[in-house]
Amino acid sequence: MENKCENLSLYIIDELTAREKEQYERHLRMCAHCQHELESLQETWQSLFYEIEEVDVPETLKAEVMDFIFEKNEPVQREHKVETTKKSLIERFKFIFKKQFSPLSTGVAAVLIIGLAGLYWHNLHLKDTITALENEAVGPVQIVSTYALKGQGLAASANGNAYLLQEGSDISLVIELNNMPGTKDKEVYQVWLLKNGTRQNAGTLKPDQNGNGLITYRLPPAHSFDDIGITLEPNPNNTQPQGVKVMGTF
Amino acid sequence: MKSKTDEELMELIVQNHRQALEELYDRYVKLIYSFSLKISKGNTDKTKEIVQLVFLRLWTTKSTYNPAKGQFVNWLLTITRNIAIDLIRKEQKHKGTIPFELDEMQQIQDQQLEDVLQQVSRNLVKQQIQEAKRHLSEPQQRLINLLYWEGYSLSEIAELEKKPLGTIKSRLHQTLKKLRNYFSKETGGARHGK
Ligand SMILES: [Zn+2]
Repeated sequence: MENKCENLSLYIIDELTAREKEQYERHLRMCAHCQHELESLQETWQSLFYEIEEVDVPETLKAEVMDFIFEKNEPVQREHKVETTKKSLIERFKFIFKKQFSPLSTGVAAVLIIGLAGLYWHNLHLKDTITALENEAVGPVQIVSTYALKGQGLAASANGNAYLLQEGSDISLVIELNNMPGTKDKEVYQVWLLKNGTRQNAGTLKPDQNGNGLITYRLPPAHSFDDIGITLEPNPNNTQPQGVKVMGTF
Repeated sequence: MKSKTDEELMELIVQNHRQALEELYDRYVKLIYSFSLKISKGNTDKTKEIVQLVFLRLWTTKSTYNPAKGQFVNWLLTITRNIAIDLIRKEQKHKGTIPFELDEMQQIQDQQLEDVLQQVSRNLVKQQIQEAKRHLSEPQQRLINLLYWEGYSLSEIAELEKKPLGTIKSRLHQTLKKLRNYFSKETGGARHGK
């Protein structure tokens, strides 16, 4: 690894001068080490973008943006330039993005998830879910039902939504929670599915520093439930709740 | 328009098709808006300015997006960040830092399934990033935040941290590698995507 390789990170974050950039690009063409590192480090840098809270866009913004562009800027005559493109890439784009506008399948959703950031998945539970989704025959997914969750007691300010998604005979529960108080040490929030007085453990989560949490749970075959309850447990992996209930469907 | 790929829309934009720009707006405004709101620390006026400039750049851009260089969405997000950082760097000269504040995440109520899935998928990505960031040292976390979100240059960071530029450069390299390795950990080397 020669000296020029040090500029790899600076190239990725775009902090080289035009001259340095040109020199580095020349180096890149010949350096197997940099070529090998470039793509994954670039994806890592770009994926930082997704650490955002998604918010609703004001309805009026579109008109404001379009006015800004079309009133201030007379249409300019420009050279028509058609890029020569690689077919495989176009096909890939079509595959990922066209599906956003047609009924989604979980398989496609998984591709979309992965395609969005090109990330690796380290979370085992998540990885299993996605692998399971990917391996399935592609079919339509439906939201079977939605639930609103409301906090109580310690987590009175919390709220959330749960979605039951069905693909073929498989049913997954996706729960999203907001405004959750933080957890200490080993404390976790644990999700329970309630049916006729019995409780089924549906996983645990720790909210992020903004109080948001997300959990996906694949329901066992033919499993149904009436309500969702969430408790604050002193430690993970309890089969029966020990802590107090802090959230539930209503 | 809805059936067109992003790439086809960009070609239409080069030929001055306004509807193609509107379609791209519909597809990506939520991402761009949310990002701009975060990077401008909840300032909605500045957020609007960034969004306007991003779409203006798309409309007037002479060099079309080049698919050989990567995914459209990454290209778009890079443009967005560059515009936002330019704006922030201009402001930084006049102001100190403002406390970081964000609007609460909007609840999803009766959105379409695809919205739900997209929202969920991005949240998953976000969790991955936050999880990976937790494994960075304090100085590494500070570096990423100053560099990525606050828009400081490496030499400005070197000054802030009272460290030689070379140290900050190698810290950056280590940090990116650590984040990447954390993303790839426990997948058994199985790579999704491309
Ligand atoms: Zn090299």
